[in-house]
Amino acid sequence: MAGASVARAAQGATRAQRAGERWAPWILLAPTLVIMNVVGVYPLLHSLWVSFTGYKPSDPNAHQGWVGLKNYAEAMTDGQFWHAVLLTGAFTFASVALSLVLAVLMAILFNRPLPGFVLMRSVILIPMLITPIAVGLIWRIMMMPELGVLNYLLGFVGLGPFQWGSSRTTALVSVILVDVWQWTPFMFIIIFAGLKSLPRSPFESAQIDGASAWQTFWQVTVPMLRPVIIIAVLLRMIDALRTYDTIYIITRGGPDFATDVISIYLQRVNFRFFDLGYGSALSWITMILILIVVLIFVNLTGFLRTVNEKEAR
Amino acid sequence: MAATLAEHRARQRRAAALYWALALLATAFFFFPVFWMFASAFKSDAVSSTYPPVFLFAPSLENFAHLFTEAGAGRALWNSFFIVTLSTLLAMIAGTMAAYALARFDLRGKNTLALEILSIRMLPPIVSVIPLFMIARWLGVFDTPWLLIAVYTLTGLPFVVWIMRVFIQDIPQSVEEAAMIDGCGRIEAFWRVTLPLLLPGLAATMVIVFMFAWNEFLLASLLTSSEAKTLPVIAANAIKPKAIAFGLACAAGVVMSVPVIVLVLMMQKYLVQGLTLGAVKG
Repeated sequence: MAGASVARAAQGATRAQRAGERWAPWILLAPTLVIMNVVGVYPLLHSLWVSFTGYKPSDPNAHQGWVGLKNYAEAMTDGQFWHAVLLTGAFTFASVALSLVLAVLMAILFNRPLPGFVLMRSVILIPMLITPIAVGLIWRIMMMPELGVLNYLLGFVGLGPFQWGSSRTTALVSVILVDVWQWTPFMFIIIFAGLKSLPRSPFESAQIDGASAWQTFWQVTVPMLRPVIIIAVLLRMIDALRTYDTIYIITRGGPDFATDVISIYLQRVNFRFFDLGYGSALSWITMILILIVVLIFVNLTGFLRTVNEKEAR
Repeated sequence: MAATLAEHRARQRRAAALYWALALLATAFFFFPVFWMFASAFKSDAVSSTYPPVFLFAPSLENFAHLFTEAGAGRALWNSFFIVTLSTLLAMIAGTMAAYALARFDLRGKNTLALEILSIRMLPPIVSVIPLFMIARWLGVFDTPWLLIAVYTLTGLPFVVWIMRVFIQDIPQSVEEAAMIDGCGRIEAFWRVTLPLLLPGLAATMVIVFMFAWNEFLLASLLTSSEAKTLPVIAANAIKPKAIAFGLACAAGVVMSVPVIVLVLMMQKYLVQGLTLGAVKG
């Protein structure tokens, strides 16, 4: 009798277990889905709705209700916004391209078993770990035209003095330099890890075939590193497109809007003018533009891969 | 023959010297600003405003004293610590559960779901800050730690879900199944067998999630006004309308950066895998 009840209990357990197995993944996913929808998706939908209104708490006389596509139409002819879009594009392209080149060169350099290289590699990581606000502050202090240590040191090699972030002509280059400084280490460790995981044999056969270092680099290293480089560039691109902290500290978008990237401009529209309806429309346009850029990048790199595979065949 | 061998050796030594010099140059470029931040943090105001800049000086703790008294960094340090620790833990728990579901169960549309979670990583924070600001005002959670905790839990999730999914997939399912045949339930099997194997991965992921929340400024500055300010927000205040409080700025930079530098350098082994959300093995 005891045996029968045990068997029944066991049967019940498996049935319960099976039902549990069906629901288990959804129970496990539930907290993530709740957070995602409440903190992520809902605010975005809310912002979509606000973007069709004239909501502007700073101006009680303005029409706060539904305005249809007015904000979007206004954005199309907003020279300041499109200036910011172009500037963000230029900033992102220059910063990502420069840090990619530097990171690849450094990865190849540090991939040699020389004394001290392990320690140097760890030291090079530090910039990407420092709070971006602190990065902005220290570079702003170093870049002061009269008192800064940068002009002082460059003076020894006969360069400068530069106006850095205080001049229209050098401000963009200055913030790009800071971005390259901070994020090249990020690209470097990813590409270095990729380089280290490559098999030895293709390099050995290239050597046997008498390939020069240059040929080996372009025909063996780069193609094999492609997937890693694509991931590093994609992540870096996403972050560069939304750069805010360092530019906010170093130039605040100035002088004369020379570094007025999208996130700085949006901050101004929303939190200085409290033009929330219009700001929300600009946010949505920005999001769509970023999505387009990322999709183009993904398709382009995927496209190139298929071309390469066809060539290989 | 001997001559050519010696020549070859000499050439090799010259090449090594060149590589070494280049590596040193790169290290100097990336390290000098860090050094300058630490040095300036220990300079008294009298030393830091001299020109030409001083490289040797008597260290002073005056900036740190100033930071924790007048600038109110004590409160901000506690806020940062409380908000970032709690949100990291929440993201770790929720995200690991989701990662387990995505790694071990057959679900329709689970790849779409994973991509949706990943898309949080792409979202520019400036876009969601306006609705969050408005909703927080209505709910009365503006300028409280809870708002930032919710936001940082969200921004941590894509890292946890994607990295932990890879780590869980790397542990053969047969290990868990063996425990389940031995009479463990799935939860017990996870707790006793899989979790211990996941610990290094969990620790590494935690460090990355902690770092991104700890360093975050934009949301923290726009979703707080006085009570819930975090360290980066206080540090940004070092810029006064006319000038910058050098020493204060650098001291704040040191206080903010040291915890992350220590944590990450301890966890370097998994850093690449973490930063690429599991895509590249370090």
